[in-house]
Amino acid sequence: MLAATKYLFILFLLFSLIGCAAHSRYNWSSYDTKMYKHYKNPAEREDFVRSLKEILDNAEPEDKVPPGVYAEYGFVMYEEGNTQQAIFYYQKEATKWPESRAFMTKLIAIANNRATNQKQNIQRPVDSAIDADQNVQKPSSEVAK
Amino acid sequence: MKRIPLLLLLLLTFLTFSGCAHRGELNKQEKFLAASPRSILIVPVVNNSVDITAADYMLSTLTFPLAERGYYVFPINAVKRVLEDDGLADSSLVHSSSTAKLANLFGADAVLYVVIEQWDSKYAILTTTTTVAVHYQIKDAKTEDVLWENRVRMVYQPQQSSSGGGSLVGLAVQLAVQAAVAAMEKASPNYMPLARQANASAVLHYPGTGIPFGPYATVEQKN
Repeated sequence: MLAATKYLFILFLLFSLIGCAAHSRYNWSSYDTKMYKHYKNPAEREDFVRSLKEILDNAEPEDKVPPGVYAEYGFVMYEEGNTQQAIFYYQKEATKWPESRAFMTKLIAIANNRATNQKQNIQRPVDSAIDADQNVQKPSSEVAK
Repeated sequence: MKRIPLLLLLLLTFLTFSGCAHRGELNKQEKFLAASPRSILIVPVVNNSVDITAADYMLSTLTFPLAERGYYVFPINAVKRVLEDDGLADSSLVHSSSTAKLANLFGADAVLYVVIEQWDSKYAILTTTTTVAVHYQIKDAKTEDVLWENRVRMVYQPQQSSSGGGSLVGLAVQLAVQAAVAAMEKASPNYMPLARQANASAVLHYPGTGIPFGPYATVEQKN
């Protein structure tokens, strides 16, 4: 009786797990674990950027990029100071998911704004959007290429 | 000890089949179907539990079930950062501000609010038991009506599912393995499976207490 219960339990767990995997519409590449790691160790930014790119590299060939991932990658590119790449990925998100258009239009405008300011040779901080908006003067090594 | 798997099984079974006939829930789902949102904005999770890591586990794992359900889900990290820029770094502040305003910032059709009510881990030599209670609520962007609501209670035990056989040696080995697993959990708990399970059981049971399929659900899924 107990053995049966145990097997049933394992079977149940297996089914619930397989159920998710088999019908997966997207290629997630451990998206949730990557997000969690980022929240746990925000200092390890390079890892986060790389892991987001990894999801795109895995999912793009099969056209199975989950919603939000292009935008997420675009956003980290923006935070890195790479406005060109940021806009490129925001546009990808907007094309793939019409629901994202309003938000992407906003983010593209913000990135464009920064790009213009950078062209005017005003050195802007690149570490966060807040600083950019507050117009803080801070030396920055990363200027959009 | 041996009762726990049985209890868990019962709980899981209950969670699976519960909600097949809740009239209140069905009314909510009519509202959901009438609003038929295409996109869901997940805002940062409010954590009323004693475990400070719980919110990050929940936030990281929410996108998957909603996207798989067929909705456009806004990028959680970009959303979090934009909210911080707008002076909404505190998640309880986000939850108490106007849904319509929030949704408008991102162009979302609906907003998902998640509140962790309980997240307690009890450490024993052989096992770690974590009890969680999470409340989920989706509100309409325009009317601010509650379109869907669910509450999940779960008891979670990470455990080696080894079948050590009946021998004494087998039992000793099994106990040693369990103790090692429990010690590891205590040192650095991994709540990822727990968070995934909680979200899946909240969202995916449909028809029932879960949420209906979204616009990107495939015909295959709906069957």
